[in-house]
Amino acid sequence: MAVQETFYEVMRKHGITRRSFLKFCSLTAAGLGLGPGYSGKIAHALETKPRTPVIWLHGLECTCCTESFIRSGHPLASDAILSMISLDYDDTIMAAAGHQAEEILEQTIEKYDGQYILACEGNPPLNEDGMYCIQGGKPYVEKLKHMADHCKAIIAWGSCASWGCVQAARPNPTRATPIHKVILDKPVIKVPGCPPIAEVMTGVITYMVAFDRLPPLDRQGRPKMFYSQRLHDKCYRRPHFDAGQFVERFDDEGARKGYCLYKVGCKGPTTYNACSTIEWNDGLSWPVKSGHGCLGCAEDDFWDKGSFYSAVTNLKVPGGAESTADEIGVVLAGAAAIGVAAHAAASVVSHMTNKDRKEMNNG
Amino acid sequence: MASTVTANGFSLDDSGQRVVVDPICRIEGHLRIEVNLDESNTIRNAVSSGTMWRGLEVILKGRDPRDAWAFVERICGVCTGVHALASVRTVEDALGIQIPANANHIRNLMMLAQYTQDHLVHFYHLHALDWVDVVSALSADPAATSGLQQSISKWPKSSPGYFRDVQNRLKRFVESGQLGPFANAYWGSPAYKLPPEANLMAVTHYLEALDFQKDIVKIHTIFGGRNPHPNWLVGGMPCSINVDQTGSTGTVGMVWLNMVSDIINKSIDFVDQVYIPDLKAIASFYKDWGYGGGLAGKNMLAYGDFPINANDWSNDNLMMPAGAIINGDLSQVYEVDVRDPEQIQEFIDHSWYKYADGSRGLHPWDGETEPNFELGPNLKGTRTNIEQMDEGGKYSWLKAPRWRGHAMEVGPLSRYVIGYASGREDIKEQVDGILTDLGLPITALFSTLGRTAARGLECSWAAHKMRTVFDAMMANIKAGDTSTANMEMWEPSTWPADVKGVGMVEAPRGALGHWCHIKDTKLANYQAIVPSTWNASPRDGAGNIGAYEASLLGTPMANPEQPLEILRTIHSFDPCLACASHVIAPDGKELSVVKIR
Amino acid sequence: MSTTAASVHDPKYQKATYVFEAPVRIWHWLHALSIGVLCVTGYFIANPLPSLGGEASSHFLMGYLRMIHFIAGYVFAIAFLVRIYWAFVGNKYSRELFVLPFWKGGWWKDLFHEIKYYAFLTRKSHKIMGHNPLAQTAMWLFNVLLTLFLIFTGFALYAEGLGEGSWADTWFGWVIPALDGSQNTKMLHLLSMWVMLVFVVIHIYMAIRADIMDRESSVSTIMGGWRTFKDDQP
Repeated sequence: MAVQETFYEVMRKHGITRRSFLKFCSLTAAGLGLGPGYSGKIAHALETKPRTPVIWLHGLECTCCTESFIRSGHPLASDAILSMISLDYDDTIMAAAGHQAEEILEQTIEKYDGQYILACEGNPPLNEDGMYCIQGGKPYVEKLKHMADHCKAIIAWGSCASWGCVQAARPNPTRATPIHKVILDKPVIKVPGCPPIAEVMTGVITYMVAFDRLPPLDRQGRPKMFYSQRLHDKCYRRPHFDAGQFVERFDDEGARKGYCLYKVGCKGPTTYNACSTIEWNDGLSWPVKSGHGCLGCAEDDFWDKGSFYSAVTNLKVPGGAESTADEIGVVLAGAAAIGVAAHAAASVVSHMTNKDRKEMNNG
Repeated sequence: MASTVTANGFSLDDSGQRVVVDPICRIEGHLRIEVNLDESNTIRNAVSSGTMWRGLEVILKGRDPRDAWAFVERICGVCTGVHALASVRTVEDALGIQIPANANHIRNLMMLAQYTQDHLVHFYHLHALDWVDVVSALSADPAATSGLQQSISKWPKSSPGYFRDVQNRLKRFVESGQLGPFANAYWGSPAYKLPPEANLMAVTHYLEALDFQKDIVKIHTIFGGRNPHPNWLVGGMPCSINVDQTGSTGTVGMVWLNMVSDIINKSIDFVDQVYIPDLKAIASFYKDWGYGGGLAGKNMLAYGDFPINANDWSNDNLMMPAGAIINGDLSQVYEVDVRDPEQIQEFIDHSWYKYADGSRGLHPWDGETEPNFELGPNLKGTRTNIEQMDEGGKYSWLKAPRWRGHAMEVGPLSRYVIGYASGREDIKEQVDGILTDLGLPITALFSTLGRTAARGLECSWAAHKMRTVFDAMMANIKAGDTSTANMEMWEPSTWPADVKGVGMVEAPRGALGHWCHIKDTKLANYQAIVPSTWNASPRDGAGNIGAYEASLLGTPMANPEQPLEILRTIHSFDPCLACASHVIAPDGKELSVVKIR
Repeated sequence: MSTTAASVHDPKYQKATYVFEAPVRIWHWLHALSIGVLCVTGYFIANPLPSLGGEASSHFLMGYLRMIHFIAGYVFAIAFLVRIYWAFVGNKYSRELFVLPFWKGGWWKDLFHEIKYYAFLTRKSHKIMGHNPLAQTAMWLFNVLLTLFLIFTGFALYAEGLGEGSWADTWFGWVIPALDGSQNTKMLHLLSMWVMLVFVVIHIYMAIRADIMDRESSVSTIMGGWRTFKDDQP
């Protein structure tokens, strides 16, 4: 193959001026919440590094992560793919198919052992020997493990790869399993969301390419820069929450005034993501801004946390029914009150009979 | 087997060389295609195997019907929203909820935007590379490319300098040695027919379309909060309209309505000035590649969609009509009743499932499903290392849906053929126009290219219909109606105890149906039959082959090592395998209880 | 009213013991007060009152509810910390809350006796200066374990607002993933509130009942600290 070119060389060849290039670097630094001093570092990194090979695998998923990725406004997906990374394998967009496609995987391992990023969309099912997801006649989990053995780091795109997501919702019939529970010996960066925000996806990749390191992660393995705050913390409807002004029902007076959606089930107060700040599709809107509460799609197991239209979680109670903590609480407290009253009555009866008997004895 | 004729009249011969293509790339999900070739490298047998399965319906059991749309929306992120819409429709149908006019308009707008974006992305990013040679574009003359562009459309990005810039960018990319998604493909194959200039024009538009598609879906972002996977609501839409009162800027107000109007204009421009001219230009070089018909023109099905007035599903009220055509008789369009247990049935003779009585087909309301990963006796390889499927046994995670026992093709071409046969003027005008331009007879539609052309025409149709719908919505708002949701039946306490519903959507890839059974305010059963299950269906017990399988027969391959012709035809259906193969997946203990009713 | 023994009125059996020292009593009432405030505010944070109209600038209802809840939470937690300290320096009764002497056979015997007593299977209550073993077990479950659970989940949820890297996040942030996410933590916190309310109902009943029926002072003890008995029977 030809000599590898750096990111900067490729951009220059694409007719991008040095001035625009530096502007891009400073915007990236600002976008990642870094100080102005970092834009020089980004520029230096991009000037001296070949494009990082990325292998993008698909397990059980719905391809919403790929679709989200191509919605990225900054950088554009076309720029990301042509100029920033080298997307050497992605069965959703690659030209080759069949064994010509599969050959690329082996070529990548040969050329870039330990250097490529493995981007995983979806997860492997483990039931039925993994044959709920067959690729090239074999279980997907084999391909995943094989490619993970030789990669530098793994990005777990979306809630499928990070947590399990919809196919892992109760009762998880295929035993769909998140990446970090299958690959134990490589760093896994979770970028949850169903799907994740486009600019969060390209932001994570750009950070890794520019700084040649993994982004700092929180306790649960998510990049701190995007996942350390709840939607609620930066929600533009937060003043209405604090004021006690709520949408009671969809399309009511409060809905038309943009009141808080907490009472119609918004999970913003318990969901860590950047929707309320970065917003979606070039910063145009996000679920709350368009009138529907947050589903909590970036949270582990959000499918099994009760109704999307209830602020409090439903619990499975014996007998198969579901109840909220409050419903259970009222029953418990009521039972306690009734128990106390009954006990008090029994105590009085007991006391009276005891007294009668003693009186009889005395008499 | 050697040589046989199928129940639906196709000759199969599996004696020749077997070619396996797995994975089929540039689709959604995981698909495997196997074919047998004769001595002249012509396809004589074809096997389509869906190779993934997630099991969403059993996950839905016992859930709140109002939550279901969010679950099923995750069946697919490419045709995002279509399952959510089918879901809210099936729940509304079951509960008898009437949605407000604005909600109907907004849903139509979102689905039309989905058509426009999805068809555009399919044509340029999932399909074009079957016809367009990227490497050949490097040798194009930018000035000649500019001349070509200006001769076919008034799209302003057409100067020689513009094409030279793109070509240089492409050159540098190729010279970098890191070919990314273009690596290891079939460049230079004799199957590519376009001159370099046309290739350069198409590659340029590949990049332009990639940048533009993300703007079309902003219609979803405005009404549904985001894309992919916008939000929906049983009873209407969750976004409120407030055009003139306090709080307007936090809801759908003038600014957002203007933005929607702008996006519609830009979409019409892009589709009519870039997509359609490209389509015609490329098609004119492949006019003699008339393969890939299969079931097209023989058995086609559409449920119809886009109600002009809310809550009215009569055919006259649908912008895209419903109907079925069988045995190639275009003079008769049959009525389709999705509630009739005799009409739509799913078979599992060659699918990895079992029924109590496996020889019968079941209507979705009676659907029973039990996974049964069992391979045929003539399989080559092992259970976890399949080298060659045995199509005599079970060979796919897809069931085989049938309409009155017929394997059917669904999708843009089916809609257009049914629309044409039903005498819809808007569709006739488009179809006759392109056929006249290319000098082709109507039968030319029944092919791979016909499918690709119908998708393009439909993209343009959808972009223009967005304008119609938007104007109708503005007129409604002007008349004082700003309601977007009917919340009268929101509380489960108002629901009947035991009801069934069905929700139909014409998804970009074809006829989609969701069937639900609500019992004691929870989902007792949920079934979906999706477009790619119709098209990618395996054989049934009677021996009918599915649309993918039928379409590949008779196609000559230039080079059996390079499955370009297979990709062309399969891609022309725009496969969506996550959709197709999500069917019910009970886990161990629940196996026996999943049989509904 | 007839009494079983004249000795009830014998002054020597009225000898009082100083059981609950002042810090214990103050803790008890702070604990009770904060639980009351936390329950009311907590309930309305989970289930807000009917929406207020107008502009956001004219109200701060949820803000105040949350602020009061946080202040009461601090009182609840700090009082408990002080209470732990007092277990080390206070009298032997101050340790009863934390240490269940399950290694002593007699303790188990008394425990079963109390269960039988409250189930009306025996009529004699044992006289115990501090808490009887059943009461002690209940106290330990609800006022040590449940209190700790409420403090840990409460401050973990509080840390979400203070943000990543805050003191509360450093100390309590691990609770959220351990309890399967923020939504679940919130739900368990709310459920614990109801369990605490169940305790409160039973506790108040038992205390009043003991005063009336059990020959010993109870309500006055937690006010004044002195325990007295009404007779000299064992």
